[in-house]
Amino acid sequence: MPHRLYRSVQALLLLALCIFFAGKLSSGQLTYYINARFIPLTIFGVVLLAILAQTLFSENRRSRRQEDAGDDVHVHEHKPAAANLWFMVVPLAIGLLIPARPLDSSAFSTKGFNTTGPLVSSDSTAQLFETASEDRNVLDWIKIFNYETDVSAYIGRQASVTGFVYRDDKLAENQFYLSRFVVSCCAADGFAIAMIVESSQAQTLEQDSWVLVKGPISSIVINERNAPVIQAESIQAIPVPEQPYLFP
Amino acid sequence: MAVVVLLLVVSSMLPVSVFTWLWDRLNVFATVFLGIFVEAVPYLLLGTLASGLVEIFLDRDQMSKWVSHRPVAAAVGGAFMGMIFPVCECGVVPLTRRLFHKGMPLSAGIAFLLAAPVLNPIVVLSTAAAFGWGQMLFWRMAVSLVIAVVVGLVFSVEKDAANVLRPVMTMEHEHQHDLPKTFAEKIRAALLIAADEFFEMGRYLIIGAALAAGLQTFVAQSVLLSISSGPVLPVLVMLGLAVLLSICSTVDAFVALGFIGTFSFGSVLSFLVFGPMVDIKSIIMYSQVFRKRAVSYLVIIPFLMSLLAGILFNFVRP
Repeated sequence: MPHRLYRSVQALLLLALCIFFAGKLSSGQLTYYINARFIPLTIFGVVLLAILAQTLFSENRRSRRQEDAGDDVHVHEHKPAAANLWFMVVPLAIGLLIPARPLDSSAFSTKGFNTTGPLVSSDSTAQLFETASEDRNVLDWIKIFNYETDVSAYIGRQASVTGFVYRDDKLAENQFYLSRFVVSCCAADGFAIAMIVESSQAQTLEQDSWVLVKGPISSIVINERNAPVIQAESIQAIPVPEQPYLFP
Repeated sequence: MAVVVLLLVVSSMLPVSVFTWLWDRLNVFATVFLGIFVEAVPYLLLGTLASGLVEIFLDRDQMSKWVSHRPVAAAVGGAFMGMIFPVCECGVVPLTRRLFHKGMPLSAGIAFLLAAPVLNPIVVLSTAAAFGWGQMLFWRMAVSLVIAVVVGLVFSVEKDAANVLRPVMTMEHEHQHDLPKTFAEKIRAALLIAADEFFEMGRYLIIGAALAAGLQTFVAQSVLLSISSGPVLPVLVMLGLAVLLSICSTVDAFVALGFIGTFSFGSVLSFLVFGPMVDIKSIIMYSQVFRKRAVSYLVIIPFLMSLLAGILFNFVRP
């Protein structure tokens, strides 16, 4: 591949990657892939990609100017494999052709899902118990039920929890799982947690649809461990939240 | 044409559920693949940028002045050098290759390669955030340091770096004629090298991320997690998981935290020590820089030593 063409393709691919990342950032879909804490890192990446693309473009302009001025320019074939360039098309193609979708119950078959634990956190326990009952998410409730040996103090507390619906044949007809993925870094390390919801509407809900469930908490024993259950008073369909994943 | 017709006929006979199943698998694959890729790109950019700057601003004479050529001192020095460079396992590979190119001895470079992803300040902070300033952090750093130095020493036996490193074709061909003189020219030259290396290493990152995502799409983790009894098996499971998940070392501590309830201290420690040194994407990136035999040493010695460390801790702290 001629040198300047090689540089141009490089520059265009870097620019495409830069725009792809920036697009995911502005559409909010970046959180389908990575934990929101790492967004600054992606912004840094976008800036660096733009700088690199700009450098390559200006390098080409410079080399063309030198050639026009009749300088002795060493225009040679570029040694590195052109195949390197085409690999960069793969993530772009996957990102553009397959509609973005956060991890959902279709990942359960390989990643599994959990109703009791194992979830211990060194620092967040104090904060966990201070959180108002209505502000607790699926993870908070499971952590509390995992941590406390006596959960009677929490029975009857009003919960307001969002998650996606997972209907499992093993559950009773009036039950479904309200689930979230917990992601520390990126979707690769995500694991699912779920709490049971009891509701007469259970059969009418669509698999993987996002809902906000409100109702009092009760307790159930799964595998000799306490797990929280919501007696749903209301179930409201909601769009995919800004941050579909929880942070452990 | 015939193929298309055949495909259409065959696909019309398949139940709809096969398509939804395939579509679901594809979606999981895409999300996990892009997750690893989006997370790794900024780190890879940082690493290639560091490599470009080293190429332009560091010359061979300075290198030989700084780095000892006695094997033990070089290996220890290389490992401690990892404390200053904020690179994780994606960025460290191009940087290490550049350091070799600048005349760094094998033992120092290998120790740096293995130690930097664990000892660097970002990883220390994230491990401390997950586990506190305690035993886990201390032993993670100490065990990694020992493994890095030992592997570095193993490589110091080889006197000819060409037997370990694959020949580099792309280096320094571009600016031999007009060496950059001003600061701006130097920065531009460093950026051009970074761009080349981003594509070269990015290729292997993409292959590795696709493999890891493929495994996560089709192999159930519960198969691994169901075997967690005895002093040896859980360590093996955690080592397998470290390779399978291919998580960046800067954040793997948070992932490891999730295993603390089910797995022993030693098993989780082995995950934290081995993961940054060896996972699917780093094996593939190593194979671009090192010859096959060297890659197998880089995988097998850390594996055995992490396994040993995990088992030892399982006996001391069950």
